[in-house]
Amino acid sequence: MHVFCGVLLTAILARPLLVDALSVPVLQTAATVFVAICVQALPFLVLGVLLSGAIAAFVSPAVLRRVLPARPAAAVPVAGAAGLVLPGCECASVPVARRLIGQGVPDAAALAFLLAAPAVNPVVLVATAVAFPGEPRMVLARAVGSLATACVTGWLWQRLGRAEWIARRAAAAHAVNGGRWAVLAETARHDLVSAGGFLVIGAAAAAALAVLVPPAWTEALAGQLLLAVLVMALLAVVLALCSEADAFVAASLTTLPLLPRLVFLVVGPAVDVKLIALQAGTFGRAFAARFAPLTFAVAVGCAVVAGLVLL
Amino acid sequence: MRRDTQHVLLVLLGGALLRIAADDTYLRYVRPSHRWLLLTAGAVIVGLAVVALLRDRAGPPAHEHAGHTPWLLLAPVLVIALVAPPALGADAVGRAGSANPVVDGSDVFDPLPPGGPAELPVAEFVQRAIFDDGGSLAGREVVLTGFVVRRGAAVELARLTIACCAADARPHRVRLVGDLDDPAADTWLRVRGVLQEGSATAAAGYVPALSVTSARAIPPPPDPYEY
Repeated sequence: MHVFCGVLLTAILARPLLVDALSVPVLQTAATVFVAICVQALPFLVLGVLLSGAIAAFVSPAVLRRVLPARPAAAVPVAGAAGLVLPGCECASVPVARRLIGQGVPDAAALAFLLAAPAVNPVVLVATAVAFPGEPRMVLARAVGSLATACVTGWLWQRLGRAEWIARRAAAAHAVNGGRWAVLAETARHDLVSAGGFLVIGAAAAAALAVLVPPAWTEALAGQLLLAVLVMALLAVVLALCSEADAFVAASLTTLPLLPRLVFLVVGPAVDVKLIALQAGTFGRAFAARFAPLTFAVAVGCAVVAGLVLL
Repeated sequence: MRRDTQHVLLVLLGGALLRIAADDTYLRYVRPSHRWLLLTAGAVIVGLAVVALLRDRAGPPAHEHAGHTPWLLLAPVLVIALVAPPALGADAVGRAGSANPVVDGSDVFDPLPPGGPAELPVAEFVQRAIFDDGGSLAGREVVLTGFVVRRGAAVELARLTIACCAADARPHRVRLVGDLDDPAADTWLRVRGVLQEGSATAAAGYVPALSVTSARAIPPPPDPYEY
């Protein structure tokens, strides 16, 4: 607490310096984007930790076992489809997925939920339809590509993943004495404190990259399909847009064909710098170091296949 | 980080969300419909901290150390409380490339309301200038509100459109032609003028030109973005 007061006091005393530093236009732009991402994502993170708390308090592992198919291979698509009903963006699904693992859901199924929930929920699909008014197939391709990404990643994780890669300290439910509401409040508070710091890291990284990535990246890509697919996939990772908003950005990049833009929409909700930071904090670094590249590769592949077939 | 420190931190974080949603500050960062989300989230965060504080006082406090990352939550709190960075402006527009975004399939436009000069969002003016075959803008006086972007000697009027938060902002720009007394970047202007037909070509980066009949500097509006 002394340290805390010290930090606060120093910050307030150093305020003129801070204001000076942030009057440089590029830093001002980055600061605005940083605050915008934090402010925009925090309500969804709060929704996620409340859901996580509710699962810890009211949904026993036995109930989850009854709802989900016993075989993990069958549980993966069911968990992916369950993502349809969580109308949030990616920040909400990380704490929920972690709690599902804590309640005994197979890792692979919880991860499929983690990937599907922000990408295929109704809000995101409607936003995509609004952003691409003349292209209803874009919505279908996005839903199919994202659902495929979730299922394929889930099945691969079931085959290749090892339980010890996921930090179990994260999964252990906290022993709380008191009623169910006390469990809900304490779980939500604990999840919020531990995930929030990582959200801030992700927001800072995305804000820095937003001012560092030159706009020429997208302007020089017209006509080079393969390169465009790759660059748009990387842009989706570094820009860390909310899955409810990325369709509007993709729609505005009209110099590009639809396929690279579809890749942007499928990769973004599955893996971006903000999510990688959140996942590293929630499931451990060993997990994030393996899961992020795996998801990236699977998402690009699924998006390209979905795009070639459906667009 | 100790538990009691965590509680104080959460109260500050929730307080920061409530603070920016209490007046128009939040409009610099997110769209207006996010206000109730921020108010709810802020109240929940403060509530969780207060509940935990009361429970800790009632019984022996649980000992836990959450590592050092929760400290980072102080960063947005401090930036909001001490600096409250302004809405994106000319610098962000300059970073977004040299062409206007064009949206396919938006080529059906209602006629403009009859009568005097039509007040239009900059984004709609740009889309009409690029796509409208019906000539709704032909010879028609319009009123646009935006901020100044300097591109060499040229003066442009710009407005950013956001879908969710400032991170996904896309600029729409209009080149101002006429007698302007050299306004500085980021000055907010209300301009009246007529579209120079055929100016929003691919070669011009789909930036239409507006023959300005009058321009007036105005204070920045509370909602700086278009949605």
